[in-house]
Amino acid sequence: MADPHDEKRPEGDDGKRSVTEDLASRIARAKSELPVAKPEPAARGNGIQGANRAYRLASEFVAAIIVGAGLGYGIDLLFGTRPWAMVILLLLGFCAGVLNIVRATAEMNAETSVPPGTPAVPDEDDDDK
Amino acid sequence: MSEKPIEPIHQFQIHDIIPLGNVGGAHIAFTNSALLMVLTVLVVSAVLLIPTGAQRLVPTRGQLIAEQLFTFVSDMVNSTAGHDAMKFFPLVFTLFTFILVSNWLGMLPYSFTVASHLVVTACLAVLVFLTVVIYGFARNGLKFFKLFVPSGIPWFIIWLVVPIEIISFLSRPVSHSLRLWGNMLAGHIVLKVFGGMVVGLASVGALGAIAAILPLGMAVALTGLEVLVGGLQAFVFAVLTCVYLHDAIHPGH
Repeated sequence: MADPHDEKRPEGDDGKRSVTEDLASRIARAKSELPVAKPEPAARGNGIQGANRAYRLASEFVAAIIVGAGLGYGIDLLFGTRPWAMVILLLLGFCAGVLNIVRATAEMNAETSVPPGTPAVPDEDDDDK
Repeated sequence: MSEKPIEPIHQFQIHDIIPLGNVGGAHIAFTNSALLMVLTVLVVSAVLLIPTGAQRLVPTRGQLIAEQLFTFVSDMVNSTAGHDAMKFFPLVFTLFTFILVSNWLGMLPYSFTVASHLVVTACLAVLVFLTVVIYGFARNGLKFFKLFVPSGIPWFIIWLVVPIEIISFLSRPVSHSLRLWGNMLAGHIVLKVFGGMVVGLASVGALGAIAAILPLGMAVALTGLEVLVGGLQAFVFAVLTCVYLHDAIHPGH
């Protein structure tokens, strides 16, 4: 864990310079390599991001319906109003599911806020996936 | 085919390691799930405590990991839930590291994925839900009900909106737990199905062994994906915890 360079760094001017110069040149090299290497991981990240969004939206929608139906069933059991509470609350559950999806989408849009000045036209990145 | 059928579900079986007897008709035992939870806590503690024991200005690798993890979660809490939510930082940090490490430990062979059981994820989600409800009422009192009554709605729609909002609020722990559980369960089943295909095809003969290369490649790729999904789901769980905490602190949209 303890790097041998670690202890050497403070003492001796040459040692310090050579270490920092080495680091600077490595950073410069890494920066020059970066634009070439960048597009691929970004594209792959988009796919997983997309799957994650799909999971999120699906679970938000389904969860609201389950809760609506469950609440309705419980009220029916308590008050003996057999089908009615469940029917009504199931429908309300659908509404809540849509509301959940709208909220989640708004959140996602806020996360990936568009920089000001971009034209309101879908770019190539959106068409790919 | 091998003599023992390959079951993709077998990996999720819970078995006792140390039975502790029955308490009030319920069977209590130290199970493989509990073992993995304890291991997760030990790993998290070791990763965080050992390298940060001797704090150095120029951090070692271990210390850097711990510091980065800390800043990552604290930035997340700060930006998503607001500065007032920083008192919940320990909760969010614990949830994040626990889910992350347990998911990754579950990727080891012969291991067990804790989050592949709905009981576990539901407990975590209910913990967050109760924290939000109790703290929301303690901090805001009856104003917490503003959460269900969006402002600027005409009176004739409000009786329809309030039940929808209540259902939407109650659906949070459900979707919160379903997502983590579903992701881990589905991912591991798919992984085992492809692994089973490799074994099944390879046992058929030479031609089968060649054909087994395809599912093997899929299994390798899916293993990488599962590691990523494990991290991503831990992140999503923590972010949603922050979003819900934000609602507890600032009810009313």
